[in-house]
Amino acid sequence: MLPDRKGKFGIFGGKFAPETLIEPLEQLEIAYKKISKTKEFKERLNYLLKEYAGRPTPLYFAENFSKFLGFKVYLKREDLVFTGAHKINNTLGQVLLAKMMGKTRIIAETGAGQHGVATATVCALLNIKCEVYMGEIDVERQKLNVYRMKLLGAKVIPVNSGSKTLKDAINEAMRDWIANFKTTHYVIGSVVGPHPYPMIVRNFQSVIGKETKKQIIEKERRLPDFLLACVGGGSNSIGLFHPFYKYKNVKFIGIEAGGTGINTDKHAATLSKGQKGVLHGSFSYILQDNYGQIKATHSISAGLDYPGVGPEHSFYKETKRAEYFAVNDQIALKGFHILSELEGIIPALESAHPIGWLIENKKKFKKSDIVVVCLSGRGDKDVMEVAKIEGEL
Amino acid sequence: MTEIERKFIELEKKKEKALILYFTAGFPSFEKSIEIIKKSAEKGTDLIEIGIPFSDPIADGPIIQYTSIKALENGINTDKCFKLASLLKNIINVPYLFMSYFNPIYKYGIEKFADRCVESGVSGLIIPDLPYEESFEIKKILKERNINLIYFLTPYTSQERTKKIVRKANGFIYFISIAGVTGPRESLSPETIQSLKRIKKIRKISVALGFGISNKEQIKKVKKYVDGIIIGSFFLKKIIDGKIGEFEELIVEFKKELKTY
Repeated sequence: MLPDRKGKFGIFGGKFAPETLIEPLEQLEIAYKKISKTKEFKERLNYLLKEYAGRPTPLYFAENFSKFLGFKVYLKREDLVFTGAHKINNTLGQVLLAKMMGKTRIIAETGAGQHGVATATVCALLNIKCEVYMGEIDVERQKLNVYRMKLLGAKVIPVNSGSKTLKDAINEAMRDWIANFKTTHYVIGSVVGPHPYPMIVRNFQSVIGKETKKQIIEKERRLPDFLLACVGGGSNSIGLFHPFYKYKNVKFIGIEAGGTGINTDKHAATLSKGQKGVLHGSFSYILQDNYGQIKATHSISAGLDYPGVGPEHSFYKETKRAEYFAVNDQIALKGFHILSELEGIIPALESAHPIGWLIENKKKFKKSDIVVVCLSGRGDKDVMEVAKIEGEL
Repeated sequence: MTEIERKFIELEKKKEKALILYFTAGFPSFEKSIEIIKKSAEKGTDLIEIGIPFSDPIADGPIIQYTSIKALENGINTDKCFKLASLLKNIINVPYLFMSYFNPIYKYGIEKFADRCVESGVSGLIIPDLPYEESFEIKKILKERNINLIYFLTPYTSQERTKKIVRKANGFIYFISIAGVTGPRESLSPETIQSLKRIKKIRKISVALGFGISNKEQIKKVKKYVDGIIIGSFFLKKIIDGKIGEFEELIVEFKKELKTY
């Protein structure tokens, strides 16, 4: 199974990290391989996923939405997991791992604040010190999540370098880890970064796909035809896709953030418009200029606003195992509204991207098709922003 | 033999250790960075490390992040860095290297990048986010052109890995003195000194110590274990603060400290 010994998915991935990080990364890989296999770890994680986070999440047959589209759509309800998004699947796993490694401090990066909140939550639960790096611009526009993290006992560290957003928060967290790895574990929030992170995060998020597989067989007595999910760094999508990897009849579709349009310079459609390169420790597709400098990105959805993507997605794209498309802000907003009206489910703007894409592309599907969409998070966090954009506030 | 290797041999004969200074290309401006490099060579710097600015320098501290972003805002790019290096050919007579993160090199095209290094007199490359395991292809391309690819080691690098890297290293080894990113610090750890001794037992290779050097006392303590020291952030801070006079005096003072006769 991939990644290989060098942390590669085909040509992608690897460990493009400063020498100062090589030893901590190796220690993490060894500890992960050892600890995650123990009965103690598995039992504790399963217990917390069930009793604390509320798993398994439903695989909900969206009847009204299905009628509207003309084929069957199931929603994997990650919006119903505790803290309101799939992020906690990963933070529970990683913080528990860090505790069992004997680390006394957790650091994380966050963009919109979802991963930061999910990390701070688990750190409060497991009683471990937590510091979250967040770009200054994000601190300003996500005040509510900043306060949430403070309530949970975490320290939020504003980052004022570079573009002052997610990618700079990752840079700063990596610098912290380089200096403090003996005591500190860095909880990356997506399937990005140097090996072993893309593998570890994928494995913790695979609970999404594993549950989906069991649930769809119970309900339909067969596997789905399509799996759909949004792709920023790509953790909810890999979590859904990966357990279906060997079932070649199950098609994977990843939807990226097209921002104001992928032919403008304001989008975050890394797989659709990027080129191969190295960012944050792995070889993957990235958004860059002609000299290899990383480009600024834009999306209505903060969770997709990132110029890189997990290396396993690049591998899926290159080997044609998955297809990737982008939809712009307007189509995501359309998805946001239609799902709210038809199903009474307000999706996160991230998850509204695949919903919007399905609406726009419904003619591509047959009546007998079964489509599973990962509803990666709830939309409450975005309601204010959408109201502002639409002039309601 | 490369210019860099020749320099270390020459210094060894003179019983001196190398003073290696880092400058960000295009900071504070294209012209000024040339002027500063020229001045530092005149004052006794033995090797110059020229940083090609990158938007996301994960291995660097706040000072080099600042100079990198400023230089990029000033319009520096890889082609202009090569132009800067070509101009230095006729201005200074000490070897110079490029420090660049991997992505700008990869995007430029590794062979094309290496060819342009030859044209512009660059005799070594330092790539902070390219680990040993990923370095073989580029090392081969550089070797064919008589350019050194400089490897890193840290006090935390395992003994087995240290052996592997030391055996394949050329030019010199860039030893990172403490865990962390670049920037001035006060003292050096006992682990550092122990690792330095270990390297010398494996093979005779020049070792330059970097990350965190900011005063004469530190140099005095470490010079017997190394063949050179690398200073970046400390001097860049002087440039940011406009203390050019102090900057020149310190080069002379540090270089004096590095003479061991």
